[in-house]
Amino acid sequence: MTDLRELQHLFRDAVFEETSDGPALQAFSKLINDSAGLSAAGHLRIYRGAILGTLTRALGNIYPVCKRLLGDQFFDGMARIHARNTPSQSADLANYGGEFGDFIASFEPAATLPYLADVARLEWHWHRAFHAADEAAMDLAALNNVPLADTGRIAFRLPASARLLDSNFPVQKIWQVNQDDWQGDQDVNLDEGDASLIIWRKQYGMRIDELDSQESQLLGAIDNGALFNELSQPDMGLELDTLLPRCYQQGWIAGFTLDA
Amino acid sequence: MSRFSQATIAGAGIGLRSTHYQDILNDKAAVPWFEVLSENYFGDGGLPLHYLEQVRSDYPVTLHGVGMSLGSTDPLDFSYLARLKQLAEQIEPAWISDHLAWISAGNRYVHDLLPLPYTEEALNHFAERLLQVQDFLGCRLLIENPSSYLSYRKTDMTEWEFLQELVDKTDCDILFDVNNVYVSGTNHGFDPIEYLHALPVGRVKEIHLAGYQKHDNYLFDTHGFRVHPPVWELYRATIEHLGPVPTLIEWDNDIPPFEKLVDEAGMAQKVLDEIA
Ligand SMILES: [Fe+2]
Repeated sequence: MTDLRELQHLFRDAVFEETSDGPALQAFSKLINDSAGLSAAGHLRIYRGAILGTLTRALGNIYPVCKRLLGDQFFDGMARIHARNTPSQSADLANYGGEFGDFIASFEPAATLPYLADVARLEWHWHRAFHAADEAAMDLAALNNVPLADTGRIAFRLPASARLLDSNFPVQKIWQVNQDDWQGDQDVNLDEGDASLIIWRKQYGMRIDELDSQESQLLGAIDNGALFNELSQPDMGLELDTLLPRCYQQGWIAGFTLDA
Repeated sequence: MSRFSQATIAGAGIGLRSTHYQDILNDKAAVPWFEVLSENYFGDGGLPLHYLEQVRSDYPVTLHGVGMSLGSTDPLDFSYLARLKQLAEQIEPAWISDHLAWISAGNRYVHDLLPLPYTEEALNHFAERLLQVQDFLGCRLLIENPSSYLSYRKTDMTEWEFLQELVDKTDCDILFDVNNVYVSGTNHGFDPIEYLHALPVGRVKEIHLAGYQKHDNYLFDTHGFRVHPPVWELYRATIEHLGPVPTLIEWDNDIPPFEKLVDEAGMAQKVLDEIA
């Protein structure tokens, strides 16, 4: 098995190595044929271009707003660097790209757009929500039937599609004015302030909802696994009587379990 | 009555793409069958699966994947296979296919179908894994010949000999991509007709057609154009040799309006009808 394994690992290394004519490419070239019009290395470079092109396009499809903010050329160059340095570890291409937001945050040439990493995180959450599990409505009757003595052990949960995002920038606004169908003003005042968002899917409709500070605190605590008895502590300062029904009606709370 | 179409796969079908859901469902398109790209429906829920179920209620489908990586020396990915099996149970495809290729090394996926060296070692390795997968999925698979842009110095046999041996060892079926064989034949200087005549007749259960792109020194398989004239010619020879094998139009880049695909499928259907 060693011959085949070595050959495949060398092929991979030759595709992803930093320089266009590095040691892996030179070693791999010795294993393959040249042809009338192309050197052995030229044959490998067809694959290199195709593979990095596929990964770059995949990132462009997941992050269209980032691409629009940066311009095609800058985005593709940045995505290509990410594609070379960050392996895809799943056969399903839809799982690739989740580390792009963190990469952008540390990518020096994009530092002039300080909100870009959060826009990317928003787009990733959107991408995942699109493919997430469908939800049935929460069973309210079952909730009402929980014995009073057990209510402290209720663990609410968010919809399977939901992800929370806190940003120092108005990223929802930035996202919105960069949609193809946006008609209004493209200017966003960055001092407009923080955003607390929930990105999720209501049946088949994709949603980005803004949360006020109480909603954000409650959903954040639920997302971290807090039980009802923790949520109802006075020092949490949550007005649960109105807050819980409101979040439920919005669809942000999708179910509950009783903690053992 | 079943919630799914009970029709069999026959004639010229079309690869299902998300941009065409509305055309297909609203107009009840007159297409005999669709091929579904397995990995596009690996999500837990949402619109893709919703539309797929609707398409499936009116049409028979096949499942076509790129993720098995049967030729790779990485361990088989049983979570991938379990997801595929679940999808197959959900939509009941007529059959499942993947490629004579590998897509990962050291758990790094390239999302491109890479060619194997056609050696005894690779043959035994591929056959052993294919047997395991067929066993796990509980069905015979169709294996498709890939387009390739390089060839290895050390080989023991041709690609068609490799396929013949594979059928003998694993009892698998073949998905013969006429465009791919034309592309690879041009790139590596072999005669597609020789390839065609070496195929075990009766084992080829499906044919693919697509459009390649011409570069200076090679042909590249983009699935982004109409089927080119020499591929139509080779297709005609294929049907004359193999009989009216179900045929699929594949289009993945710059996907055109649905009518254009229907038109293309109509051209394939014409060949099937003329020769039958
Ligand atoms: Fe194909």
